[in-house]
Amino acid sequence: MIDSLYIAWKYIIYNKIKTVTLVACVTLISFLPVSLQLLLEESERQLMSRAVSTPLVVGAKGSALDLVMNTLYFDDEVPELITVAASNRVMETDLALPIPVYARFQARGNPIVGTTLDYFDFRDLRIAQGRQLAVLGDCVLGAKVAASLGLKPGDSLVSSPETLFDLAGVYPLKMKVVGVLEKSHTSDDLAVFVDLKTAWVIQGLGHGHEDVTKLRDPTLVLKRTERNVAATAKLYHHTEITEKNIDSFHFHGGLAQYPITAVIALPHDDKSGTILRGRYLSRQETRQIVRPEDVIDGLLQNIFRIKNVLDAVISVVALATILAIILVFALSLRLRQREIQTIFKLGCRRATIARLLTAEIFIIVVMSGVFCGALIFLVNQFSHDLVRMLFIR
Amino acid sequence: MYVIRRYQGHTVLIALLFITISIACVFLKPGEGCSSERLNIYVVNYPLKYFAERIAGEHAGVVFPAPPDVDPAYWMPDAKTISDYQRADLILLNGANYAKWVNKVTLPRSRMVNTSSAFKDRYIEAAEILTHSHGAAGEHAHEALAFTTWIDFSLAAEQAKAIAKALSRKKPALKDTFQRNYEELARELLKLDRDIKEVVLKDQSRPVVVSHPVYDYFARGYGLNIRSVHWEPDEIPTTEQMVELHSLLKDHPAQWMIWEGKPVEEAFDRLQAVGIQSVVFDPCGNAADQGDFMSVMRQNVENLKEAFH
Repeated sequence: MIDSLYIAWKYIIYNKIKTVTLVACVTLISFLPVSLQLLLEESERQLMSRAVSTPLVVGAKGSALDLVMNTLYFDDEVPELITVAASNRVMETDLALPIPVYARFQARGNPIVGTTLDYFDFRDLRIAQGRQLAVLGDCVLGAKVAASLGLKPGDSLVSSPETLFDLAGVYPLKMKVVGVLEKSHTSDDLAVFVDLKTAWVIQGLGHGHEDVTKLRDPTLVLKRTERNVAATAKLYHHTEITEKNIDSFHFHGGLAQYPITAVIALPHDDKSGTILRGRYLSRQETRQIVRPEDVIDGLLQNIFRIKNVLDAVISVVALATILAIILVFALSLRLRQREIQTIFKLGCRRATIARLLTAEIFIIVVMSGVFCGALIFLVNQFSHDLVRMLFIR
Repeated sequence: MYVIRRYQGHTVLIALLFITISIACVFLKPGEGCSSERLNIYVVNYPLKYFAERIAGEHAGVVFPAPPDVDPAYWMPDAKTISDYQRADLILLNGANYAKWVNKVTLPRSRMVNTSSAFKDRYIEAAEILTHSHGAAGEHAHEALAFTTWIDFSLAAEQAKAIAKALSRKKPALKDTFQRNYEELARELLKLDRDIKEVVLKDQSRPVVVSHPVYDYFARGYGLNIRSVHWEPDEIPTTEQMVELHSLLKDHPAQWMIWEGKPVEEAFDRLQAVGIQSVVFDPCGNAADQGDFMSVMRQNVENLKEAFH
């Protein structure tokens, strides 16, 4: 047997191109369904674990999937905005603790999540370096953001403008990095956390500037009446919040009318959750309350339906590949007729020739198996990151 | 020898009991049990501290960290104090935009209680505010609400009720105690309310000047006819301020000015020279030098009797 394997091996390494093609075909055809299954299982695990741990989400009526994906995974697709009044409404019911979330802006490609301190308790996020958010302008980084941007407490991070062409829009805010979170292996690792009010400053709803009632430069005053002072566009707005200028930061109007993307509602018990959901059933209701678990479950059902189609496609491709491989071997046998005749004339039995061919196939299958195993091992090792990169974010 | 062994056995038992209780206290969530565990409450002004202490009694440690010489409405805590607030079991806010710093820091919303939310529809828009406008935001003012809510004692009683409710939620086992303490406090606050009404009833429409625009709720609650200036009790009024006062007196012929604190002698004399007497009604936003909230308010009522005799 060893002799057959030796001769087969010599033949294989002599016909490199044919061997590489065959190994690649067999490897791919066995790797694809297994890796797809692995990635789907991982994405299901990731999606469901976060969805299950988030009891209810309140947001504007519209796509429940956009709402949940933005609230749980800080997806780029921003749902229609609601106001803080929606959060106050949940609070006033005394049925659940509301955690407002405003995931709309970005800083160097990472989502900025405006929320309250309760979010950190809810997700059990702990500070690994530095301290928790304390004042306007502070930000706390997810572990991966800190690692990828090379930031640590004491550094600063500038928010990105919503559009490149918004030249007359809001100035980016230079935020102070005050802490880095411990790795949680969730979307929180990829986010920049700020207080809700800081997110409103990024949006320009809150801002700091010189006291316009005390302006001396006439070019800064457009119109002054007994009741109002109108400033010109020349009025300088602070782009960084410091101890010196924090007193000048202010918000226009009532905070209850300020925007957020969603409210995570944590009911005190199951009964409270059911009652709360019932409060959003009216036709006139402009907001929706969803159970992320149901929404993600629906999404996964669709994914698995797609997976079935993919499985069918892969099966057909696999069949075609196997047929192609058989054809390759059949043709190669034809091409090797003279070689086989020679072996036969040398005194080898037909069984020996069959053994030689079997050994060749065996070596190709083993090589493919090794490559396939290595690739599956890699996918398995990095499935978490691959899922985040390919499917979730 | 036997006696020593018996005592050793008791010591071991007591030690085990102590360890068990300690472990139970560590693992139980605050408010779930171990009712002997004191709540850590942080407040934003002195009246709330007084109310919380009266209602919670020995079951809470109430902290009001602002230094005694600052106005808590405009004070800004340092990073360490903010961190202390963040760790509190309960943060009592006055509401009505009192304590501007609250909007500039990060606090746990689940532990914040706006004690005036029950009457937020009765907040008073502060008068005499210069608005400003820039950009697309339109006209706006930085201070739109009057916030000295507690000197309308009926509102103070409502704030106390909110505190009692918040405490009961944190420590359901002590609900009856909190309710009893609240009722006692509310009785005293409502007595003050009745006393002031009785005092001012004699001449409710009498024009009065107040030294600072902090008496809006007081004036509305007791139907007073007030106009406000911006004078500090520890500063001598300038000529400009006197001119402004004269102008105000033309259509508001007041004979009394209500001060937040005892005015300096010169201010007292200058006012007396134009026929205005001074009376102190201390809103007590920060801790009083002497006495407590209730004694200061009782003294305020006594002071008012002089003006409305």
